[in-house]
Amino acid sequence: MSDLLRAPAEIKYAEELDWLESVDDNPKPFSWRLSPKMIRLFILGSERADGLDREISQKWFGDRSIVERAIVTLASDRGLLLIGDPGTGKSWLAELLAAAVCRNSTLVVQGTAGTTEDHIKYSWNVSMVIAKGQSRESMIPSPIMTAMESGLIGRFEELTRSTSDVQDALISILSEKYISVPELDSDNIVFAKPGFSVIATANSRDRGVNDLSSALKRRFNFVRIPVVTNKKSEAEIVRFRTEELLRRHQIELDVPPTLLDVLLQSFADLRASAAAAGSDDEKLESALSTAEQIGVLEDAILHSNFFGERTLTARTLASSLVGSLARREPEDLAILNKYLHGVVEPRSKEEGGSWPEFLEGGRDTIATLS
Amino acid sequence: MNEGSFAALRGQLQEAAAEFADGPDALEGILLGIVDDVDRAVREPLEIFPVCHHSPASALAMARRLREKQPKVVYLELCEDMAPLLTELRNCRLPVAVQAFATEVDGFPTDWAPLSVVAPITEASAEYQAIAYALDTPGVELVLVDRSSDHVFQWQENTDRASGPDDPDAPPAEEESALHGDAVGVEIGDLRPRFAELEEHLLRHGKVRHWSEWWHQYVELPLGDADHDTYRQVMLLIGSLFRRLAPGEAHRVRVDEDRERYMWTRMRRHLADTGTDPADALYVCGAFHAASRVAEFGVHGTDTFEITPPTGTKWQHGLIPSSHAAIEAQFGLAAGSVSIAATQWAKNLRRTRVEPYRLTGQAGRGKAAKKTATAPAVPAPAGQGPAPDRLTGFLRRPPVLDRLDEEELLGWSVEIVRAARRNGYLASTADAIAVFETSILLAGMRDRAKPTPYDFQDAAITCIEKDSVPGRRDVRRLVEIMLGGDRVGQVGYDALPPLARDVHDRLAPLGLKLQQRGVQRALLDMASRPELEACSDVLWMLRRLMPHGAARPVMGERRLGERSVQESWDLALGTHQRALIELGYEGVSIEQVLEQRLRRTAYGPQATTAKVLEAVEDATLYLRSRRLADELGGRALEVLATERSVDGAPEVLRRVRALLAYYRTSEPSLPAWIESFVKTGYAHYCTLLPTAFTDDDASARQVAAMLGFLFSMEGLALSLGCDRSQLELAVAQSHPEDPAKTALLWAARTHLGTLSRADLRERIAHLLGNPLVVPAYPRYLNGFLHALEPVPGLADFVVEAVSQAFAALPDPVLLPWLPTLISGLRGSGAELAPLLIREAGRVFPARLAELDSWVPPWKAEPAPARRAARGTTGPRGLPLLAAHPATCDALAELLGCDGGWTTEEPGTPAAVGAELLARHPETAQALELLLSTT
Repeated sequence: MSDLLRAPAEIKYAEELDWLESVDDNPKPFSWRLSPKMIRLFILGSERADGLDREISQKWFGDRSIVERAIVTLASDRGLLLIGDPGTGKSWLAELLAAAVCRNSTLVVQGTAGTTEDHIKYSWNVSMVIAKGQSRESMIPSPIMTAMESGLIGRFEELTRSTSDVQDALISILSEKYISVPELDSDNIVFAKPGFSVIATANSRDRGVNDLSSALKRRFNFVRIPVVTNKKSEAEIVRFRTEELLRRHQIELDVPPTLLDVLLQSFADLRASAAAAGSDDEKLESALSTAEQIGVLEDAILHSNFFGERTLTARTLASSLVGSLARREPEDLAILNKYLHGVVEPRSKEEGGSWPEFLEGGRDTIATLS
Repeated sequence: MNEGSFAALRGQLQEAAAEFADGPDALEGILLGIVDDVDRAVREPLEIFPVCHHSPASALAMARRLREKQPKVVYLELCEDMAPLLTELRNCRLPVAVQAFATEVDGFPTDWAPLSVVAPITEASAEYQAIAYALDTPGVELVLVDRSSDHVFQWQENTDRASGPDDPDAPPAEEESALHGDAVGVEIGDLRPRFAELEEHLLRHGKVRHWSEWWHQYVELPLGDADHDTYRQVMLLIGSLFRRLAPGEAHRVRVDEDRERYMWTRMRRHLADTGTDPADALYVCGAFHAASRVAEFGVHGTDTFEITPPTGTKWQHGLIPSSHAAIEAQFGLAAGSVSIAATQWAKNLRRTRVEPYRLTGQAGRGKAAKKTATAPAVPAPAGQGPAPDRLTGFLRRPPVLDRLDEEELLGWSVEIVRAARRNGYLASTADAIAVFETSILLAGMRDRAKPTPYDFQDAAITCIEKDSVPGRRDVRRLVEIMLGGDRVGQVGYDALPPLARDVHDRLAPLGLKLQQRGVQRALLDMASRPELEACSDVLWMLRRLMPHGAARPVMGERRLGERSVQESWDLALGTHQRALIELGYEGVSIEQVLEQRLRRTAYGPQATTAKVLEAVEDATLYLRSRRLADELGGRALEVLATERSVDGAPEVLRRVRALLAYYRTSEPSLPAWIESFVKTGYAHYCTLLPTAFTDDDASARQVAAMLGFLFSMEGLALSLGCDRSQLELAVAQSHPEDPAKTALLWAARTHLGTLSRADLRERIAHLLGNPLVVPAYPRYLNGFLHALEPVPGLADFVVEAVSQAFAALPDPVLLPWLPTLISGLRGSGAELAPLLIREAGRVFPARLAELDSWVPPWKAEPAPARRAARGTTGPRGLPLLAAHPATCDALAELLGCDGGWTTEEPGTPAAVGAELLARHPETAQALELLLSTT
């Protein structure tokens, strides 16, 4: 276990990647460390039929064809844009892809309203410029430029959060594959090495904030990541991420499967009610994504580990659910109250199990909050 | 018999089983069982030809085999009752579906009705090859051997009906995919793993997304060029594999086995009856059924299966249009798979140069087959000996990889970019290159030498689809359309049922191509072309009978007593061909169908008076049938007499009024039924009135409608012998507690003259003056509003009451009531509001300036003035009468009264009554008797 709070995928799975690289005899494009098939295997996990000596765990849960399309895009000369609702695992997939392709997933530009062209191209070390003048030494390359220079994968998170003129700086990077540095007299073009590509992510809820120009759209292949609605795979994701979390915090705590069911069921119910709601006031502000579920569970686990009796109870889960989802004062609380009384109460009478305790915990928390 | 055909394979499988499963166990049983199944089917004297539905490879193998073997009898796994229809296929453009339909069920639960079974037939299918061969080759008999449509439902479990196809890949419910309605689908050669894990396993290892893709990749392509024996053995193997590995749920297995027993029993009977040599026959069935293990299997099987007689349900048969999307939706296939199969079929034909069979006269794309002209010489029939083992070779061979057809892929890439551009995408040649490249990369990643259409689809989506879809279709759909697209079949004129043909004939004067799909505009100018009137009649009936959208009037109305001079219609009969054909199952003309439907509505257990009256109206409007209208009117009378609720009163009132108005203007005399209806209705509603006033379930609107009936039909009812006292008594007996109904009662009494306007006004004033009842005042007003319906003369008073409410009610009472007032006025339709507004316009000043000096009429102390006026009116008429007594005398004589006009002697007014009493003592005597006896 590394001493990093959160190790990037290439460090976390370094040993697995090494092993895969050693057994990989398929053709590899450019300077890729793994072949496309192995990358797919690394991300989606292995099966007995793959004939490998060791098991590779599944790291991203979703449709196989999405992963295939993403990998193939990276092998072509277009950038990859992962687009989807918040919490659908876009960034995680991007990180895994970058780690598998070039063992470096940290060349990231975070798109914000304050991102400037310098963040994408290069900036200058002012004191060095004063001391030595403008030269390659006094230049600070951006992560994207670094990726170009070394033939790696650069990542651009939340592309649509940055303004259009900044986005458009990517156009020449993606088509000409070089950045010119007009400030320098010589050695003033940084060419991309084979293997360079960009994985960007965009939040589909942000559409319209800073729309991509059609020139940039043309240089990206869009791969849409759908929200997981399949209960089975959602349970799988929540379990996987929770285990990782427990490991990270070095917590020894058991998550009873019945409580996981309660969590999944309650999210499914809330999603159904959000889908049926007529106006924004009638639905929770939260997007109710899988990531949100993990957040609720994480909160409950940490709470019961440090303040509870080191076992996860339905009561804690309920209070963490209410606490995480109630964001707007009267509206969200009213919806949760309605949910607890209209759905959970009849169910706890009918099914019993963890539901009565869940109901009680939820009620108490709502009482405290309101 | 040669038993050694598969000996080598058996040995190998035994070894494999021993190696993988550590000894002989179930695995060995399954593996060897599969070989046994194949062996058994191959050795059957009656040649079994296993097929899979919508499989071009099956169709190709079929066409080849038919040319080679030229069988004299073809047995086909298709509902046996559908046989007579198959020849009509030649008049249709495929795909169409053969349908068996029953509206009236006998022997099944009534809530199953209507029953419908469809068997879609596409051109790229083995069954079509068999049908085309058998029907167009002289001396060949086609025998359908599967259970009849009736048995489909006989063998169905009750619970089955509710469940529909449930496939996550199912396409969105579009118009095309709903072509089959909610029919039960039957198809030849249903071949799919019966348990989810097996399918999942196959998909995962085939690196494909859905079953259709797996089949295409692993069966369809390798078998495309296979010879007959290989094809047959591989199909048998797959059928047996699915059967042995996954038996599925018990009921389904039982139905499948029963079907096999049924088919073999039928075939043996046919062979025996006609003396056909089994070697001259061919049995076409799904691969699943070919690997059957029932005792009845084979020419020498046991004859133990008893075919149950059909139920009394009367089945109708016809062809309905189908489409690739509808087939995919019905059988849970992936979207586009049938279209891809059709494209594959065309490609296979080009490549192998096999001449397919085609029914002569078959409509559709492509040239009609030149029969026998280009057919290759029939090769010598296959040796009579047992088929050699082709399986071993096939199973050991590495998967056949189709050569990379670069030209084709390039064509697709260019084509999809063009299609995308036409649909609003910003796609360019660069995209075509990217699609091409990505397809190859994807195929490589999925271990395929050549991109399949599905790989190509994925690549196109990756490269062209951006964050939003600019037009109506997304790239996925565009690829589907490009690779064949959805094809919607059409049933030709000659294959239509008589009703549909009749409709088309009668609409011919419109000069439109109504068989075509899509909406067409018809303009009917009856003034200049009177012959179009008949068309208009047909169109109105179609509008009444067919689903919404089939015939939609844009301009023109048909209401009682009205006829349009010009009409314009949006017609989509081609699109709704199925609905028209299904109408044809109900009768031979639309008039007949409409009459039946009207009768069914009127005599149904759910019939209410309002519904029956509607049927009467429809009969008059659309059929112009006085006979039927009278009959249904009689029925309305019966229903009314048995009705105990007043729910339908408003509707009944509306309809009777309309019918009365119509008959009064257009007929010399009222029909007898409507006279009795009014009479019965008068008595009926009089009887129900007191209860309705107190019943909580009856709303004020309903009571108002009853009163409306009573008051507005009163003249007619009285002339027909009803007695007004009945109504007076009913009103007197009514003691409502609800404020709204109380107000209604007051209005009724005012109408009847038992409550004067002044008294009414006083009561209102009392209500407003009492702080305890003020909150209930709006509810009284509500009653008065409804009272406008029966007593329209009260409008001025209602305006007054409403104005008083605005003036006097405190805000906490007034404001919550306002929305109720508005919604009430709006809800009660167009009748009340205009009346009220007109009256208000009369009462209130028209200009703002006048408002200052305006005094409401009810505050203007009108009472004394009016009384004075009345005082002067009374004597004004009386002297006139006294001065000219002749009129009065003549009238008295006419009425049979004796005695002439006598001027009253002043001072003896009391004597008049006494004289009357003296002249008619019977009343007094009867009263005396009554009083003394009680």
